[in-house]
Amino acid sequence: MDLTLLAQGLVSGVLAAGLYALVSVGLALAIGVIGVINFAHGEFFMVGAFLAYQLYVSLGFDPLLSLLFVAPALFVIGALIYLSSIRYVLRAPELNQMLLTFGLSIVLQNLALLIWGGDPRSISGVPYRSVGYQVAGISIGLVPLGSFVISLVLVLALYALLARSKLGRAMRAVAQNRIGASLVGLEVDRIYLVAFALSALLAGIGGVMIAVIQSPTPTVGFAFTLKAFAIVVLAGLGNIRGILWASLAVAVSESLVATLVPNGDALRNAVFFAIIFIVLIARARRTA
Amino acid sequence: MRRALPDLLWTLLLAVVVALAPGALKGLFHQASVSYLSLASNAMSLAVLALSWDLLARTGQLSLAHAAFYGAGGYAAAVLAKLSGVPLFLALPLGGAVAALLALGLGSVTLRLRGIYFAIATLAFAEVLKALVQELPTGIAGGAAGLNVPPLFRPHFVPGAMQRWEIAYLRNADYFYVYGGLLLLAILVSVVVQRTRLRAAFTAVRTNEAVAAVMGVRPARAKLLAFVLSSALVGMLGALEAERLGSVIPDGTFAISTTVFALVTPIFGGLYTTLGPILGAGVLSAIEETLKRTFAEGYLIGYGLVLVASVLFMPRGLVGLANRLRRRRGPPPAGGAGTEAGLAGDGEGR
Repeated sequence: MDLTLLAQGLVSGVLAAGLYALVSVGLALAIGVIGVINFAHGEFFMVGAFLAYQLYVSLGFDPLLSLLFVAPALFVIGALIYLSSIRYVLRAPELNQMLLTFGLSIVLQNLALLIWGGDPRSISGVPYRSVGYQVAGISIGLVPLGSFVISLVLVLALYALLARSKLGRAMRAVAQNRIGASLVGLEVDRIYLVAFALSALLAGIGGVMIAVIQSPTPTVGFAFTLKAFAIVVLAGLGNIRGILWASLAVAVSESLVATLVPNGDALRNAVFFAIIFIVLIARARRTA
Repeated sequence: MRRALPDLLWTLLLAVVVALAPGALKGLFHQASVSYLSLASNAMSLAVLALSWDLLARTGQLSLAHAAFYGAGGYAAAVLAKLSGVPLFLALPLGGAVAALLALGLGSVTLRLRGIYFAIATLAFAEVLKALVQELPTGIAGGAAGLNVPPLFRPHFVPGAMQRWEIAYLRNADYFYVYGGLLLLAILVSVVVQRTRLRAAFTAVRTNEAVAAVMGVRPARAKLLAFVLSSALVGMLGALEAERLGSVIPDGTFAISTTVFALVTPIFGGLYTTLGPILGAGVLSAIEETLKRTFAEGYLIGYGLVLVASVLFMPRGLVGLANRLRRRRGPPPAGGAGTEAGLAGDGEGR
């Protein structure tokens, strides 16, 4: 086997894992802290991508600069969606949550289709898009590297927030026992609001990066919703720390198959979901 | 089974309506009846999809694999038509059988998974199956380009005796009958489940599997039975749709939207009932068609808003809303609507 190719596959996989982790960790926050099954999560990602695209086209903003505008915008959008709908289904059965968030997903996706049309859009003109490095025969693009670093920093920052800060402690308390948390004086509804808005913000930042890496269409969100769900479930519900490892595992396998197997690029999704399927089945057998 | 009598009478009534509808529509609307019949077939297709999903959900299994069984049925029909000259009608039972076998396999490995874990495992199964079908040698399943499927009906034009549009009418009317037949079959299966001891078994498994097992229900058996029944219906539907659309293609025949509609419709209509999914399919189809005609572009925004509003304002679906209204008017008839509403709601609260 060609070792350089193997190393290339590994490196590309690790770099791709950052974005997966960033999007999934937001969803894990929504599921773990708030307990809401959010099938519209990927739409925040999509909205982030298209806001960055619009800022680039109309005002010439560099995507890095747009982050400063897109992140707060997504925080507000997330907060508004929480206040207008999510908070009313917190204690509803999960099927109702699924129907509600499917509805939200359809609304957001079709709004975007109405505004931007169905063609792929991308921020292609930034000078660093084509910059890459060669290290021992392995090529590393600046953009994937940058997106990996930003994602990793944000995910670790979220971990630190949950572990150290007062807000993070409040979130963990609410996740463990909402009644207990409210008994000791935590404002549960406000913590949910912040957690949900934060989850939208993280997905939105991921979206800005996908607009530079690929050429997304308004339907990109749902595919990411499904993948994020799979990663969250792979890590185990409520296990926010496991997200990083789960993302790494699926992204690296995906990338290895794409680089090593002939015609493997078409198999990416199959590999991704095959791993999830096997792990879920195997785990259920072991615990039974 | 005596309790099933009213349901069976309603089903009989529906059968009569299905039998008479094409003729009546033609008499009333002439050429426009062609598209009405096609719309009605779409609605009935959605109803079969929704009812079959609900059948499975009654055991607490929230499947995201309906697209897989639908696609398996469609591909079974396509491959059968390609390999042999057998009558195309046979594609329906074949599609159902292929889907049922797949469900038996999938169902037996996912028995221990619950809630969202089950949902994601079934979703993963569907995505892998789609990719596998796409990667099969083109000689078998046509690869990414898919396969053509010959139509089930080819009415002949008789010059002088009929007008041009009447060919389309005849074809749509024939399909309408088959969709109607499939819907009636799905309703019968659902009624049998609801009016025999199976209902108690399914409900018990959904509400609390451990307690169900203690009470003498075999959870594994109940779950697999529901899975097989549900998938057989969807597989037949997939085969029929492939013949109506004229082709199968991985991205379309295995599209995740099939799964989404399969679960959205019964929740909208009212879960764990026979009426809910059918009502949901009718109302959602009508809403979608009206929106499409009113706002050509972006009409799905309205559709999404309807779904959001439905969760907020009628958490138990159309059937739940109807029960609530009926109860507000006066006391429920003893043992009738009251128990129905109670059972429709149980187990929802996890």
